[in-house]
Amino acid sequence: MKVLDRKKLFLVNSILLALLVLSAAACTLLGPVRLDLSQALTHLFSSNPDAEILLRARLPRVLLGVAIGGGMAACGVVLQALLGNPLACPQMLGVSGGASLGGILGIIFFPNWLLPIASGRLGEISWIPLAAFLGALLSMILVYRFSLFHGRLHPYHLLLSGVILNSFIAAVIMFLNSIVDFYQAQGLLFWLMGSLSTRAYLTVGFIWLYILVGFLWLWSKGVSLNLITLGEDAAMYLGVEPGALQRQVFIASSLMIGAMVSVSGMIGFVGLMVPHVMRLLIGSDHRLLLPASFLAGGIFLCWADTFARILLAPAELPVGIVTAFFGGPFFLFLLYREGRRSLGL
Amino acid sequence: MICRSRFFASRFFLGTLIFVFGLAWSGNAASESIPRRIVSLAPSITETVFALGFGNRLVGVTSHCDYPAEAKRLPKIGDFMSPSLEVIAAKQPDLVIGVAGATDPARAREIERLGIKITLVSVSSVSEILSSFKHIAALLGDPDAGATLVEKITAQFGKVKRRIAPAPRRSTLLAVGLRPLVAVGGKNFLDELITLAGGENIAGNASQPWLNLPDEYVVAKAPQVIIQAGMGSDASRPTRQWSDLKSIPAVKERRVYTYNSDKILRPGPRIGEGLEEIARLIHPECFNVGKSRGARGSRCEGSGS
Repeated sequence: MKVLDRKKLFLVNSILLALLVLSAAACTLLGPVRLDLSQALTHLFSSNPDAEILLRARLPRVLLGVAIGGGMAACGVVLQALLGNPLACPQMLGVSGGASLGGILGIIFFPNWLLPIASGRLGEISWIPLAAFLGALLSMILVYRFSLFHGRLHPYHLLLSGVILNSFIAAVIMFLNSIVDFYQAQGLLFWLMGSLSTRAYLTVGFIWLYILVGFLWLWSKGVSLNLITLGEDAAMYLGVEPGALQRQVFIASSLMIGAMVSVSGMIGFVGLMVPHVMRLLIGSDHRLLLPASFLAGGIFLCWADTFARILLAPAELPVGIVTAFFGGPFFLFLLYREGRRSLGL
Repeated sequence: MICRSRFFASRFFLGTLIFVFGLAWSGNAASESIPRRIVSLAPSITETVFALGFGNRLVGVTSHCDYPAEAKRLPKIGDFMSPSLEVIAAKQPDLVIGVAGATDPARAREIERLGIKITLVSVSSVSEILSSFKHIAALLGDPDAGATLVEKITAQFGKVKRRIAPAPRRSTLLAVGLRPLVAVGGKNFLDELITLAGGENIAGNASQPWLNLPDEYVVAKAPQVIIQAGMGSDASRPTRQWSDLKSIPAVKERRVYTYNSDKILRPGPRIGEGLEEIARLIHPECFNVGKSRGARGSRCEGSGS
């Protein structure tokens, strides 16, 4: 095992962090409508339109985008390592399907219900993310149960049960979609496509807390993740207990994914692509790869969401379209370049 | 795999049907003039056929067709998005009516290939909706019924127009979904209804008929009235969902309303009533003249314009 290059770790992550902060600031200032920053800052906490655009409509959304982008990318990294499969991504785990189903049941059965926090003093949050999170937890337990044999989570079973649970749930969702009324069905489809639209700082704070804790915990497993990519047996000889690592990483990433999908729906591609891009750019030492992917995922989704708001203004595009549209070709380009390099071309 | 084999099975089944019915129909093709067995592929079409007085000729409607009450008891041919070809064919209709842009064109062609006459009517503007009534009435052999229906709706429009005439235009957001926010854009008959009701659609310049709007756009456009689909228990307190955006006049002045009916959304014979419903929400003061004359803030006049 190579010693961690601390200088590289520091350098890469501080550059990415600086880029992330700049991107977040830029994305808060950009949008389909013009924002008068001086107006917004002078009337920051009154009911001024510019202040509301800045503080209510944009800032929470940008903060949520950074958290979700980072969380998705970090989960992608660990899942690809854990399952030994380059196609692994957060949407694959069955958890995202469960969250979608929960959310959809929430939309159908209590569409506009709001839950007061601290009897309304801290604002209100919607029931829908809670229902989605419950769905995520249930599907996580199911997938876990179906892949756990003799204390070991089998990657093969984990992948298959996740994919199959997702297809099953997709069928249930399509069924529900065809029995609800037409306009509600349209609403469900819009929700399923995923959006970072939010004005609730409470939700954003909750997601950040959740993702930061999950991320730091996953990061602390960096060395073990490096070893598990050598294969379970090799990892075991080197002092990693594969069973425990698999269980912990699965539960941690499932909880993170569940929380993310509950709030923003299925935003694809970030969790699949960002880890690969970062691996191509900085190598696959998880102690470096995890924080770098987190930061890069945040930058990527933050910009993708800004484009989603601007491209067809005033209409807002589903952000998943933008992530796939810009991310896909870029990833293919990197892959091609790397392929040539490894062949000495 | 399963889907594909079912698809082929249905193709085969259809092929047989085409053959059998083709034989059956070729005999009486000449005598077929006025359709007696109609299948409707959209709730608005069902309403139109009933409003024209031919509800008794409907032999199949979609599962979304719930108005008038008699429509609920009619045989269902599947839902609005995916009507079943087999069921339609089994009803032996002599006319199928769908909506251009909503009825799947591939499905429409397949119905045509079965030898069944199918008409798709356009309903993307008010004038198209009104001519769709005349068109359907003519197809059913009673053009007068179409003219009468158009007259009735035109009269309803005129009544609303007179009511709101003195009032200033109010910028309006008409939302069909809230999470995420889906609004009525331009090129949509609802955009016209907002204008006819004395409002001005804040998303009317969009090229999409329905669009997902970011919150910041609504804040920037500062609508004076917000009308949104009301489902669930919270319909009674619609302002609540906007309470953090107090700079929006509609929120500040508590002009956020929910609608709870298909009257507004269906491009059918109830658009006259739908228009009145929208106008009542945009200009409530113009409809309360008798009740609260002289009360503060309830004047219906053009002081602002």
